[in-house]
Amino acid sequence: MDGRIELIDATKEYKHAGSPPVSALNCVNLSIRQGEFVGMVGLNASGKTTLARMLNGLILPSRGKVLVNGLDTADLAQKKEIRRLVGMVFQNPDNQIINPIVEEEVAFAAENLNLSPAEVRRRVDWALEVSGLADLRHHAPQMLSGGQKQRLAVAAVLVMQPSYLVLDEPTSMLDEDGRYELIKTLQDLNRQQRLSIIMISHRMEEVAPAERIIVLHQGTVYLDGPPAEVFRSPRFALAGLKPPPIARLTNSLLRQGHPIDDRIVTLEQMVEFLCR
Amino acid sequence: MREMITGQYIMGDSIIHCLDPRTKLIGCLVVIVVAVWPRQTITILLFNLAFIIIVIYFAEVGVGRVLRGLRSLKLIFLLTFICQVFLTRGDPLWSWGSIVITRQGIDLGINTFLRLLILFLSASLLTMTTSTLKISAGLESLLSPLKYLRFPVQQFAMIINIALRFIPTITEEAEHIVRAQKSRGAQFDSGSLSIRLRTVMALLIPLLAASLQRATDLAWAMESRCYTSDGQIYSRVYKLHFAQRDLIAMGVISIVLLLAIL
Repeated sequence: MDGRIELIDATKEYKHAGSPPVSALNCVNLSIRQGEFVGMVGLNASGKTTLARMLNGLILPSRGKVLVNGLDTADLAQKKEIRRLVGMVFQNPDNQIINPIVEEEVAFAAENLNLSPAEVRRRVDWALEVSGLADLRHHAPQMLSGGQKQRLAVAAVLVMQPSYLVLDEPTSMLDEDGRYELIKTLQDLNRQQRLSIIMISHRMEEVAPAERIIVLHQGTVYLDGPPAEVFRSPRFALAGLKPPPIARLTNSLLRQGHPIDDRIVTLEQMVEFLCR
Repeated sequence: MREMITGQYIMGDSIIHCLDPRTKLIGCLVVIVVAVWPRQTITILLFNLAFIIIVIYFAEVGVGRVLRGLRSLKLIFLLTFICQVFLTRGDPLWSWGSIVITRQGIDLGINTFLRLLILFLSASLLTMTTSTLKISAGLESLLSPLKYLRFPVQQFAMIINIALRFIPTITEEAEHIVRAQKSRGAQFDSGSLSIRLRTVMALLIPLLAASLQRATDLAWAMESRCYTSDGQIYSRVYKLHFAQRDLIAMGVISIVLLLAIL
């Protein structure tokens, strides 16, 4: 079985009565390997959310296909397995929490998988541990901070032990601390659990630590590559986007002829370089 | 951290918290049936009320916290009482022109007030001491015989679970909208009836839109976590357990019911 998500000529059109169909995605061809940390950026209405929801079969392509580890998202018989493989975390944590207690919320997805109660408990303990919520397991979600709520949303998906985690603007409702907590958790999950992270964001500094950045523009993949290359590309500005401050600083120093590693796009990388 | 809303689940390990949700659901149902039984006397209703207050004490959720929720319902209580007092015919106690207060009116006013109070307190007590997941698990178990009549018990229990879960969220949303409207000059407490109606519409429309958006988001999130509405049985991490304390509680509930009937 292939450990990757593949979009083959994936097109999505939304039809509204009395008006011509609106195309959200146009013939997208993409392959995301298991274990990759991918950042996905683009202006509003560039097709990011549609693409994210296609990855676990919540939205089916109008034309083309989406394969998750070789399973076609259009195959209804595989729907449950595809959703187990591709976990999805949405923008607003308050709108995805169903249960009144943290551990009950985490258990929800595992219960839906028809696992034994002992296995559900084991997975709940594990998901709470890796999300850093083990001490809050008996708390009410409403009483958690924004960052903790979003980590709860991540734990509630991790309990299915997915291979891919898709996050649709997960930090947009969070403050600075909450954002930091979540990004740190995601990086740890990617490194330690080899979990693929596909994160949509409008904040370039959040996706800068990713291995790869995909830029969507008017429903197409406009740029795809390592962060430094993408941020330096003239097409990046043409897509209406602005590189993060550290990437701009690196480019500026390079233009002035300073000997600096052109792959530096994050503050941590810059500090490491300067301390060398 | 924000203030708890009345009716919202409060974690605890009191005797009432530890009861099986089925026991609490049956108890709540008995209290409500006794309260709404036709021609119920004030004595029985007071007895019922005293029973609930004793249970609130044992639930360790704080009588004050439970009663705080009454503030938002005071208008309904007052209007109901006034309507019963002034619109019920019977033996006049006091009159002024066409306005007559009757003994039967006062009786009925107190009676209705007590009934509403019992309904409010019993429902609040249930939701404050039982998490929505346990309520839905209890409901699912109690309604399970209906599966044979092809009634979608699991889906029904899930609907109840979600409805209860979203009460505090929607209340909070409404508070935010009211604050936002007030900051733009909306007056909810003054002005003519038509102005007030318009202001209420300015609250209801965004609240409805936000609730529909929440419902859509929740449906996506549930689907993403492998929930299906095909009635498939899934394993529950929370197992219902009918213990000896539940037997004792059922005994107490039966005595309350018998006393009310006799």
